[in-house]
Amino acid sequence: MKWLRFAFLITAAAVIQSSALMNVVSLTDMHIKPDLLLILLVYFAINCDSYDVIIASFAIGFAADITGTLIGPHIISYGIVGTSLAYIRKVILLKHTRQQSLTIFVTGILTYLIAIVLVKLKVTSATGELFKAFAVSIYSAILWFLIKWPVITTGKWIGVGAHRFGKKLEEL
Amino acid sequence: MARKHFKPSKLTLFISLFLFGFILFLLPQTATSKLNFAFIDIFGYFLNMGSSATYYHAPQSASPDFVSRQDYNRLQTAYANLEEELSEQKRQLEKLSKVRLTEPDPSTGLVLAKVVNRKENEFIINRGSGDGLKAGQYVLGDNAVIGLVEQVSADISSIRLITSLACKIPIKISAPDVNTYFNGTMQGNDKKEAVILNIPQKYKLKAGINVYAAPKAGLLQSSRIVGRISKCSPGERNPVVWDITVEPAYEFNDITDVAVIVLKMPGQL
Repeated sequence: MKWLRFAFLITAAAVIQSSALMNVVSLTDMHIKPDLLLILLVYFAINCDSYDVIIASFAIGFAADITGTLIGPHIISYGIVGTSLAYIRKVILLKHTRQQSLTIFVTGILTYLIAIVLVKLKVTSATGELFKAFAVSIYSAILWFLIKWPVITTGKWIGVGAHRFGKKLEEL
Repeated sequence: MARKHFKPSKLTLFISLFLFGFILFLLPQTATSKLNFAFIDIFGYFLNMGSSATYYHAPQSASPDFVSRQDYNRLQTAYANLEEELSEQKRQLEKLSKVRLTEPDPSTGLVLAKVVNRKENEFIINRGSGDGLKAGQYVLGDNAVIGLVEQVSADISSIRLITSLACKIPIKISAPDVNTYFNGTMQGNDKKEAVILNIPQKYKLKAGINVYAAPKAGLLQSSRIVGRISKCSPGERNPVVWDITVEPAYEFNDITDVAVIVLKMPGQL
C-alpha cells in the first residue's frame, strides 16, 4: 500500500464528504448523503491485508472525526468495525457486488451505532439520529453499485493490488 | 549490521491505535475542536465549492414595485424588530414617564463574520476570540437571532443554530389578546424548527405570531426576532399547555454573513 497516496485519497474524500457539493446528491430535508469514508472503509477492509486494514480503518475514522465536531468516536468505531471486517472476510467471501453492498449497509449501521453511543457519553445533549444512520447506510450501499469501478481503479493507484489469496492483480 | 525494521504485531498495532483514539476521545472538546477548525481553515475554499448560498445572487427585479423574496424577508424582519422596539419603548415610557432611558447603541458591539462552512444545525464563521467572541454570545443573521456562539478558537468559531437540540435560548412571545408578553425557553428539535413547551393555554396563541429572543444581561440588550409560530397545538403530555413550534425568521441556507453581538461592558467603553 502506498500510504502517501492513501493519505491523499482519504483527505480528498473527507473534503468532498463535508463540502457543499454533496448537497447535490442529498435527499429529503434531513440531508441524507452517502458516506464516502464508509464506502472506502469497507473497500480497504475487503481488499487489503489485515495489517494494513487496521491502520487504514483508524485513519479513515480520524478523517471522519475531523470533518465533524468531536474527535474520537469515529476513530474508535471505524477502527473496531474495520478490523473486525478484515477478519470476517477471511471466513465469508465478499466477492460479489451485492455482498459488498450489504456489507457497506451493515458496517454503516454498526459504526454509526458505536459512534452515536460514544458521542452521547461525551455530549449528553447530543441526539442520536438512528433513522439517519440507517438511511445513510442504505444510500451508501446503493451508491456502491455506481462507484465500485472508480473506487477499484483508485485502489489500484494506491497499491491495493495484493489479492486476498496472495496473488497480485496483474497476475490474475 | 543491517538495521532491523520495527514492525509491531497486529494486536499491538490495534491496541496502540485504539488507545490513541480513546485518548483523543477523552480530551476536552475545546482542545480537540482546534483540529476541526484547522481542517475547515485549510480546506475552506473546497468545502464551500458549489454552495448556493455563497454563489447564488438573485436577479434584480425589473419593476420598482416588487422586491425579491430574500429582500422581502429582510425587510419583514427589520419591520418586526422595529415594531417590537417601538412597543417596548412605549411600555417603558408609560412606566417611567419622565425618566429618560438611554439605550446603548448595539451596533458598537457587532462583529461581522462570513460563514465558511455549514454543518447540521451549525455554522462555522471566520471570527474568533481575537475579535472578542466568546461562547454564549448571540448571533444575528440579517437582524434576526439565528443562534449562539458555541466554540471559539483564535480566528474561527462555531455557531449552534436555534434549530439545534443543543441550543436553548430564553424567549418572549406577545399575547395580543391581553396585550402582554410572557417568557419561556425555546429549544431546537434538530428538524429545521424549534419548540417552546409548557406555555399555558390561557394565552390565545396562533400561527404567525412573532417570537423574540429575550434580553439577557451582558449578551443581548433588547429583544430580537427569532422566528414565527408555525404550529400551536395542545401539549402531548399535558393538555392544558401549548406545544409551540417555531420556524426561524430565515432560511439558514440563504445566510452567508452573520453578526455576533459582542456587548462591551461599561469598563471596556
